[in-house]
Amino acid sequence: MEFVTNLILASVRMATPLIFLSLAELYSQRAGLVHIGLEGLAAIGSLTGFLVSHITGSPIVGVCAGAMAAILVNMIYAYATVTLCAEQIVYGMAINIFAPALASFIYRVYFGAGSELVQVPLMTNLSALLGINADSFIAKLFLEQTLMVYLAYGLVIFTAIYFSKTKSGLNYKAVGEYPRAAATLGINVIGVKYIASIICGALAGIGGAYLTTCYTTTYVDGNVAGRGFIALAAVIFGRWSAGGVLLACLFFGFCDALQIRLQVASFNVPYQFFQMIPYVATVVVLAIIGMKKAGPKSCGKPYRKEER
Amino acid sequence: MQEILRMEHITKRFGDMYANRDINFEVRRGEVHTLLGENGAGKSTLMNVLFGLYQPTEGSIYLNGNKVKIDSPAQAVKLGIGMVHQHFMLVEAMTVFENIILGDRNTKGVFIDRDARRKEILELSQQYGLDVEMDKPITEIAVGAQQRVEILKALYKGAELLVLDEPTAALTDIEVEGLFQIIKKLTAEGKSVIFISHKMREVLHISDRITILRAGESVCTLNREETTGEDLANLMIGRELVPSQYKKIEDAGDAVIKLTDVDYCKESKHNGLNGVSLSVGRGEIVGIAGVDGNGQSQLAQVVTGVITPDSGEVDMKGSRVAKFTPNGFIIEKVSHIPEDRNKMGLIGSMSVMDNIVLKTTELPEFSSGNGLYLKKKAIKEYAEQMQKKYDIRCASIEQETRNLSGGNQQKVILARELESDPDLLVAVHPTRGLDIGAARFVHDTMIAARDNGCGVLLISADFDEILEVSDRIIVMFEGEIMGEYSGKNPPINEISLAMAGK
Repeated sequence: MEFVTNLILASVRMATPLIFLSLAELYSQRAGLVHIGLEGLAAIGSLTGFLVSHITGSPIVGVCAGAMAAILVNMIYAYATVTLCAEQIVYGMAINIFAPALASFIYRVYFGAGSELVQVPLMTNLSALLGINADSFIAKLFLEQTLMVYLAYGLVIFTAIYFSKTKSGLNYKAVGEYPRAAATLGINVIGVKYIASIICGALAGIGGAYLTTCYTTTYVDGNVAGRGFIALAAVIFGRWSAGGVLLACLFFGFCDALQIRLQVASFNVPYQFFQMIPYVATVVVLAIIGMKKAGPKSCGKPYRKEER
Repeated sequence: MQEILRMEHITKRFGDMYANRDINFEVRRGEVHTLLGENGAGKSTLMNVLFGLYQPTEGSIYLNGNKVKIDSPAQAVKLGIGMVHQHFMLVEAMTVFENIILGDRNTKGVFIDRDARRKEILELSQQYGLDVEMDKPITEIAVGAQQRVEILKALYKGAELLVLDEPTAALTDIEVEGLFQIIKKLTAEGKSVIFISHKMREVLHISDRITILRAGESVCTLNREETTGEDLANLMIGRELVPSQYKKIEDAGDAVIKLTDVDYCKESKHNGLNGVSLSVGRGEIVGIAGVDGNGQSQLAQVVTGVITPDSGEVDMKGSRVAKFTPNGFIIEKVSHIPEDRNKMGLIGSMSVMDNIVLKTTELPEFSSGNGLYLKKKAIKEYAEQMQKKYDIRCASIEQETRNLSGGNQQKVILARELESDPDLLVAVHPTRGLDIGAARFVHDTMIAARDNGCGVLLISADFDEILEVSDRIIVMFEGEIMGEYSGKNPPINEISLAMAGK
C-alpha cells in the first residue's frame, strides 16, 4: 500500500514540470509554431531559477526569473520564425544547442569550475505554509505540494476554458489553423504568434525552474533530461487539448515515478534498464497515436503577409 | 445611384511585374458590378488591395466620398467591406458557428455568448435566405454551403460592400442559381456586390455594370444592356475571337497505344475500367467524353504507366507492355498533362525554370554525367526560351510556380511535356479553370502536336472542348466505353445520351 501511495504522490510531482512544458508547447503550436526547443528553454529557466533563488534566497523569485530568462531566449526563436519566416525546426534545434550551453557557461562563470556542489533550499509545501500536519494519503496528495503544483493544475483548467469558451481563445486557435483566414477577419496574426512565444517561453522557463527550486536542491548540466521532448510527445498524445495533455503528463510522470521505484526495489537488474521506461513509453505512445494527424493545420508553416 | 466606392489610379507591383496598373474602378450602392478579365488580368490583386491584404504601390481609395487608407483586413472589415475569397477562408477544424463569430469585435465580454450570437446569426440568415447548419464542422458541409457561410460571415461583420471572388468556380449549376438569388436579395437590401468572374453567361445574367480588366489595366466600364457576350470576350482578350474550327483528321497513322479489354477494379463504377478497348493513332486526337468520375482518371493512369491493369493488354507502338512504370512510359515518349496541375503536374515550391527541365535533367545539354552535375546556365537559357515560346507570364523564371496563375502554370507544364517531342500526349482536363485565351493556347498547342505526328488522348469533362478539338470521340460511362463517334459532324444528341449511360 505504501508503495502505491508513494508512487501516486511521486507521479504528481514528476508530472508537474511536464505539465508546464507541455502547456508551453500547446500554446506555441496552437499559434502554428512547432517548438522543438523546449529542452533549451527549460535548461536556461532551470539555471536562472537556481541562480536567482541562490542569490535572493527565495525560490519564488527564482521561478519568476527563470520565466523571464526563457522568454528572452525564446524571442530569438520568435523573431527568426515569425518575422523572418525561418524554418521552425531549425531554430528550435538552434535553441536546443545554444541555451543549455549558455546555462552551463553561466554556471561555470559564476561558481567556478570544479567547486563543490552548491545547494539551494526548496520551495515549501502548502501544508507547511498553512501549518497543517498532513498524514493521511488524501491530505498528502492535496496539501503536501508546492505552490507550483497548484499553479500547474490551475493553468490546465484556465487553458481548457480559454480555448473552448472565450472569443480570444477562438481567435488564437484560428491563427494556428489558417492564419490567412484569421488575417482576413482582422486578427493580428503576427501579434498572436509573438504572444504565443512569450507564453511558451514563460511556461517552459517555469517548467525548467521547477526542477531546481522544487525538485532537486542543485543544478547539474542536462537536468532537463529530455523532458522538453517528452512534452512534445505529451501534446500529440493529448490531442492538442489541455485535458488530454494533463492526462498524458500524468501518464509520463507515472512512468518516471515507477522507474525510480523499480530501480530501488529490484536487484540484479541494471538500473539503466528501468531508466528507459519513460522514453520507451514515449516511443510506444507516439507510434500508436502519432500517425493520426490532428494538430493545428498550419503548424510549422511560416505566415507571409503578401504572398500571392 | 449613390457612389459607395471609388478606386483611383491603383497600381500594384510585385518586383518588376505590374499586377495592376493605373486602374480606376467605382461601385454604386445596390448594384452588382462585375470585374471581368482573364486569369492573371489583375482582378484578385485589385480586390486584395481593396481588402487591405496588399498595399497599393500607388493610388487612392474613397469610401462614401471619403479618402481612406486600408492597411489591414481588420480596417477593411471595420469600413464595411466583406470579401468571399476564391479559396474559402474557413477554418476546417471549427464549426460553422465558430467560423462566423471568429474575429468578432462588436460584442463585449470575454466569453462567447453562444445563445445570443446564434440568435443574431439566425436572423441574418433568414433575412437573406442563407440557410446553414450551424453546428456542423466545415469539413462536413458542401462547397455551396461553405460559400453561404462565407457570405454570412461577411454580413455578420457588418459588410455593406461584398466582394465575391470567382464565386461560381466551384459550384454546380443549381448552386449557382441559389447564389444568384442571394445576390439579388443582397442588392435589394441596399448592399453592393463586386462580382469577379470570367464566365460570360453568368456575367451577363447577374451584373448591372461590367468593368473589364486586361493585363493589369482597366479597359472600360459598360452597362449590361449595351453589350453582348462577344463584345466582352473581345475586350477581355484584346483581339477578335474567331469561332475556331480546327481541321479534323480522318485517317490516322499507326496506333501509338492500343488497349484491348483492359480491366481495372472492374466492380468500382466510378474509379474503375471495365473491358476498355481503344487505340490512339499517330496524328490524331481522341477525345474521351463523359461526366467526371466514370473511370477517366484510371484510364489516364493506365496509359501513363502509373497503375497496372488487372487484366487485358496494352500495346505501345506495336509491342506489348509488360511492366507498367511511369518512367518506362516516359522513355517511350509518353507525355502527360495531369488532371491536377498543382498536385501532380508541378512542384509548387520549385521555380519555373526547374519545373521546365524536371523530366530532362539527364540530357547532355542540361547536365554532365547523366544528371550528376547540372548546367545551370544552359538550363536558364533554355527556360528563358521556353518562357518566350509558351508566353509564360511570370516575374522571372526563378519565381516559384505556385505563385503563378492557373493558365501560366499550365503553360509551364505544356513547355515541359511537349518540347520532348512526344509520341503520345495524354491530356486530362487540360483547360480546367483556364480563361478563354489560355484555353485557346492549350488547344492550339495540342493541334500543333497532332500535326507533328503525335497521338493525343484528350480526357475532358468539358463537352465543348471535346467537340472542338477531337478527331474521334469516345464516350465513357461507369468504366465502360459506350460508343465511338467521328469528330467530324458528331451526332451531339446521341453522344449526350451515351454520356448519361443510355
